[in-house]
Amino acid sequence: MPLQQGSARTRQRTVLLVGIVVLLAALVLAVVLASLLTHGKHEVSPQMLKWKDRGTTKNLQEVVLGRCYNYITAQHPELGDKDCLKIWESLKEAFIYKNPCNITSEDYQPLMELASHPIPCNKSLFWSKTGDLVHRYTKSNQNFLTLEDTLLGYMADRVSWCGDPSAPGINYESCPKRSECESNPGSVFWKMASKMFAEAACGVVQVMLNGSVEAGAFRSSSIFGSIEVFNLNPDKVSEVRIWLMQDIGGPQSESCSGHSIKRLISILEERNFKITCEDNYRPVQLLQCVHNPDHTDCRLCTNST
Amino acid sequence: KWKGEGTTQNLESIVIGRCYDYIRIVNPAVGEKNCSQIWEAFKNAFINKDPCSILPNDYALFINLSLHTIPPNKSLFWENNQLLVNSFAARGRRYMSLGDTLFGFVGDFLNWCGQADSPGLDYESCPTTMECENNAVESFWRMASITYAQHSSGVIHVLLNGSADGGAYPQPGFFADYEIPNLQKGNISQITIWVVDDIGGPDIDSCGTHSVKTLETRLKTLGYDVTCTDNYE
Repeated sequence: MPLQQGSARTRQRTVLLVGIVVLLAALVLAVVLASLLTHGKHEVSPQMLKWKDRGTTKNLQEVVLGRCYNYITAQHPELGDKDCLKIWESLKEAFIYKNPCNITSEDYQPLMELASHPIPCNKSLFWSKTGDLVHRYTKSNQNFLTLEDTLLGYMADRVSWCGDPSAPGINYESCPKRSECESNPGSVFWKMASKMFAEAACGVVQVMLNGSVEAGAFRSSSIFGSIEVFNLNPDKVSEVRIWLMQDIGGPQSESCSGHSIKRLISILEERNFKITCEDNYRPVQLLQCVHNPDHTDCRLCTNST
Repeated sequence: KWKGEGTTQNLESIVIGRCYDYIRIVNPAVGEKNCSQIWEAFKNAFINKDPCSILPNDYALFINLSLHTIPPNKSLFWENNQLLVNSFAARGRRYMSLGDTLFGFVGDFLNWCGQADSPGLDYESCPTTMECENNAVESFWRMASITYAQHSSGVIHVLLNGSADGGAYPQPGFFADYEIPNLQKGNISQITIWVVDDIGGPDIDSCGTHSVKTLETRLKTLGYDVTCTDNYE
């Protein structure tokens, strides 16, 4: 009997030992596997490039798609043949997985083709340093269209995007500022879209400039001054009307007789455009007056005869 | 079948897109919202039901998910002057009208309805309010208006159209039937009424006359501190 007990205890101990060994082996295996997997993950998506400007807008796809459908369905049914999904895909293809300092106009060509649409004559409204005011104006007066009132501009307004060579190909943390590199997705987009917007303009075109800016109402470094002015087609555009808006109660840095305006006029005249300039174009000034109703410039009966 | 326009095409993409547009760009101060859930709650209010049987409370979950605070003194109620209100409110920067809240923003200018015994949206036609009151869009705006009024506080502004046929203060009307009854008196310090005529339009109603007088009396009787201003005579 003692012998039997002895062998049973030995068997028990062996089973226990085997069990512990198996457990240990499993533990080691698990640790090895875990480290392999995480090591692998790091290799698949290393740190993305870091930039100084805000990153891609979260839910960019939903926002852009929604805006596209909103534009063609609720606002401009004449554009019903536009394929919003394709348009979104072409925007994404332009920048995803690419180094955001290497973007070219070729990258945006498919998007530009899919999303561009004709602009009625006499409606194009350009602007520089008057973003807030000009868009309030076009919202209340549908007779004028800024770039941001076209499908392309509408989808991209106030939204940012850029890619990165590593997965998932879109950088939501940061995007390059112009000062870091000029050929970044946003700058290239707006330059191209602005060029096309200018090329498409016909008839009488308008431009709203800011006469309260110290650096001058017209600057050659602005998109208007460097791209739009030079892409207006003299065969299509009959006249350029400048609206020089000063802040109500703000500095009157420049008026239609100012230096930078004279420069703009000579550039345009050289290209054979007819130009007119109006200080504080009244319909727009009235909008400014909503914020400053008590200012003398905002009294209703300012014109006597 | 019905007399009204059908559901707006691509309604789902538009609603979800607007929801993200609002929380990411228009008013990120409202914080994180689940836009897919918001769409589902919106849709479930009216699909698979008789399109004449939709009640404001069917949108309760939608409102619950999309609700956010309305800053005090920024509420702007209106009647018969939507475009004016939109440019005056400056997209929520100066005032926050119902169309500048998330729940109003996603539905503005859109149309929708479902059908009984089918999960699909009806793109052909939808009932008008004349055909039946309890339709998807009417009930949506009733619920949204109730909610907007309940969450308004401080100085309340009301923009009325002095050139409107039938009076500046329409009865029945959203303001009269769904907003005034749901204002929280304890949270409101004053009600400021503005009566604005169309440029070159008739001066049908003004402060102290006709329907505006009715409104002023009603609000004063309810115990509110009321002021009223006309545009230029």
